[in-house]
Amino acid sequence: MQNLYIAPTSSTPEVNFQFDRHQLSLRGESYPENAHAFFGPIMQAIQAYLPTLHSTQVTLDVQLAYFNSSSTKVLLELFSLFNDAAVAGNYVTLNWHYIEDDETILEFGQEVADDFTALDFNPCALVE
Amino acid sequence: MSLTDFHRFKELARQENVVFYYTGYFSQSIVTAMGDSLRLRLASLDASQTARRKLFSVFVEMAQNVVHYSADHLSASEAADHEIRMGSLWVGEDDGQFYVVCANPITAEGVEHIRAKLEPLRTMTNEEIKARYKEKLRTEGEAGSKGAGLGFLTVARDSSNPIEFDFVEENEGQPFTTFYLKATI
Repeated sequence: MQNLYIAPTSSTPEVNFQFDRHQLSLRGESYPENAHAFFGPIMQAIQAYLPTLHSTQVTLDVQLAYFNSSSTKVLLELFSLFNDAAVAGNYVTLNWHYIEDDETILEFGQEVADDFTALDFNPCALVE
Repeated sequence: MSLTDFHRFKELARQENVVFYYTGYFSQSIVTAMGDSLRLRLASLDASQTARRKLFSVFVEMAQNVVHYSADHLSASEAADHEIRMGSLWVGEDDGQFYVVCANPITAEGVEHIRAKLEPLRTMTNEEIKARYKEKLRTEGEAGSKGAGLGFLTVARDSSNPIEFDFVEENEGQPFTTFYLKATI
């Protein structure tokens, strides 16, 4: 399966999905006008990738300094797909990078961990 | 407008500690450019990381609300992307607290719809707003919503005081009412 790379812009994150190495990352900020339009192809790639896995260790690095409300909703749908893959017998580590004094980002990460218990949630504080 | 009037306008903005003011058509690229400008201004101000992020969050939700919902539009009204709509947005500082005010035209039918959404948020505690936000995040979006239906809740969540809003009737013959929303960080 082909890797997916999308360069960052002011309002969209860098998407670097190295499917061949099972290393996926999202970095930057996310406030596109239409989050479904931006994340649609990304979700499709993930939906094609996850069923190909068998007892695989996948690492997902998320380092988003800011995301708007519609991106928040899409991110939750995205984590749900990874949680399903973990329930199906894979190992998914979610490295959740957040700026140390930013409670909102950490709280959302903890909610993701509470909702999707099959994910190996790993909060990583970034000191400014 | 004479240059003296421009000077009065500029002086008033300075006296009122206006950090940023824009009025005109809003598109995503304008929101992004305003966001960059706002961030530069915020970097030079003495504000915590959390306060800056909350201010930026309120700014984006309000500005994108104009892009999606203002009644005065240049783009096709049924467009899902690349929308362009009319509004105004202020960021200012008052007694050491930052605020964002947004204004945009809405239709008469929009008034009660928005009031019904905002009025309950004024009396809810922070904990109640957070709980409502979490609940809403996990439910299907409502019909007619182009985002996640979480915009006003996000503004209320990131605001330290209850949000304020008003509807101002325009002069006779004007088809729209102006909707004002203010959040203090």
